[in-house]
Amino acid sequence: MEKRVVITASSAITPIGHHKEEIIDSLVNGKSGVKELRDDNLLTDHVASKVFGTVSCPIEFDFERKYRKTMGPVAYYACQVVKEALESSGLDKEFISSGRLGVAFGSTHGSPTVQREIYKTFFSHSQSKFSSIGAVDYLKSMVHTTAVNITKMFGITGRVISSSTACTTSSQSIGFGYEAVKYGLQDAMICGGADEYDTTTVAVFDNLLACSTDFNDTPHLTPRPFDTRRDGLVVGEGAGVLLLEEYEFAKKRGADIIGEVIGFSCNNNGGDLILPNMNGITETIKLGLKNARIGPDEVDFVCAHATATKMGDVAEAMAIYKAYGNSPYVTGLKSYMGHTMGSCGVIEAIITLYMMDQGIIAPTLNLDEVDERCSMIRHTKKFREFDIRIAAIQNFAFGGVNTSLLIKKFE
Amino acid sequence: MTREEIQSKILIVFKEEFEITNPGLDENLTEKYDFDSIDALELLGEIETLLGSELTRDEKKASMDIRTINQICDYIELLAKKRSS
Repeated sequence: MEKRVVITASSAITPIGHHKEEIIDSLVNGKSGVKELRDDNLLTDHVASKVFGTVSCPIEFDFERKYRKTMGPVAYYACQVVKEALESSGLDKEFISSGRLGVAFGSTHGSPTVQREIYKTFFSHSQSKFSSIGAVDYLKSMVHTTAVNITKMFGITGRVISSSTACTTSSQSIGFGYEAVKYGLQDAMICGGADEYDTTTVAVFDNLLACSTDFNDTPHLTPRPFDTRRDGLVVGEGAGVLLLEEYEFAKKRGADIIGEVIGFSCNNNGGDLILPNMNGITETIKLGLKNARIGPDEVDFVCAHATATKMGDVAEAMAIYKAYGNSPYVTGLKSYMGHTMGSCGVIEAIITLYMMDQGIIAPTLNLDEVDERCSMIRHTKKFREFDIRIAAIQNFAFGGVNTSLLIKKFE
Repeated sequence: MTREEIQSKILIVFKEEFEITNPGLDENLTEKYDFDSIDALELLGEIETLLGSELTRDEKKASMDIRTINQICDYIELLAKKRSS
């Protein structure tokens, strides 16, 4: 039997703020979190893109050494947001360790900062440390480091899913977590993703000529999803988490329900691993609607992936139009904070929930003149008061992976 | 290295690397301070640095039953002696 899946807590660390009030303030005032790329003494001099979605708010991590010892920067972000979400959820310790709570959490590639240190030792031929790669380095840097550091810190004994599909990492976390609860495999799931400051990702996109370079001196003016002057994506950092619970369980314990996940889809373009694919995206959107058992006209807000690449935005706009027509408002939230990679799906879902709660829709920042090839959809060009009832959050990743997540205001 | 020097260096390592200050020399580190297998692996790395040479697989295996600071010092004393002979 399928169960209803509700959202009962969230937390995000983003380039436009850490807590709900701060993030909403950034949206309302059109504040960008894109800053000058900080120097890493390695790659920054060699990349053309000099901008980065930067987490600049101070965060006081208060973790004991027994937890810190296996954590790289990405796990600090992950554990912090989970700590905040669990604290606000009111879930008791007994349930958390009962095996009925699982974790679906990932990152693009673990901790590149730690990996870099490992390689430094390898190639330096240093005699100061004889064990150049240890178990601890692996635990800090491995691809599922976020998920298992979360299980360790909070004593979680349920199932672990750690997707690592670049830009769809955390939308998959939410989707797979949703399915685990929907089909009764777990009563609750902690779902999210994180990515730390990393210039390797900037270099990769830079070499593909997919990074923004025209606004190096005015970082807040980029990225520019759907705009005629868009010139590529801006890599960023961040983390986010949603707590999903089975509806009856949440209701019984008196949880504060902030939304409902009603559908999820995931597919692959089945071909090119880099180029955006309009058909693949359209199919994902349709599969998501089918899974949610709703028609396209019931979706009144689309949180677009909208990275601000030349081709990606056009393919996505065409797919949105094909699946939804021009009825739902469309916003590209990356315009505020850049592309936070493995955490973008969950951060965008959280901000969509904030907007649902506040009865607002934030516009796409820097959308001064809509590219006519993207003009067939209903862009949110100015801040509006609007009661979002059902929203779709869509994300696409290298490797041809697409996801669509349908979230409903809880009624 | 004298026994005193070894003990002093190990206590510094425990303070700086494991945030364990002045443990009793015969206290069970796992039971009293949550010193776990990950810490043990880190400690072996520190011992290698202290000795200035890598530990062999057999030497590492020989460390697996160690539970106290005194046992750690015994272990290092033995390795140091082996390397100087």
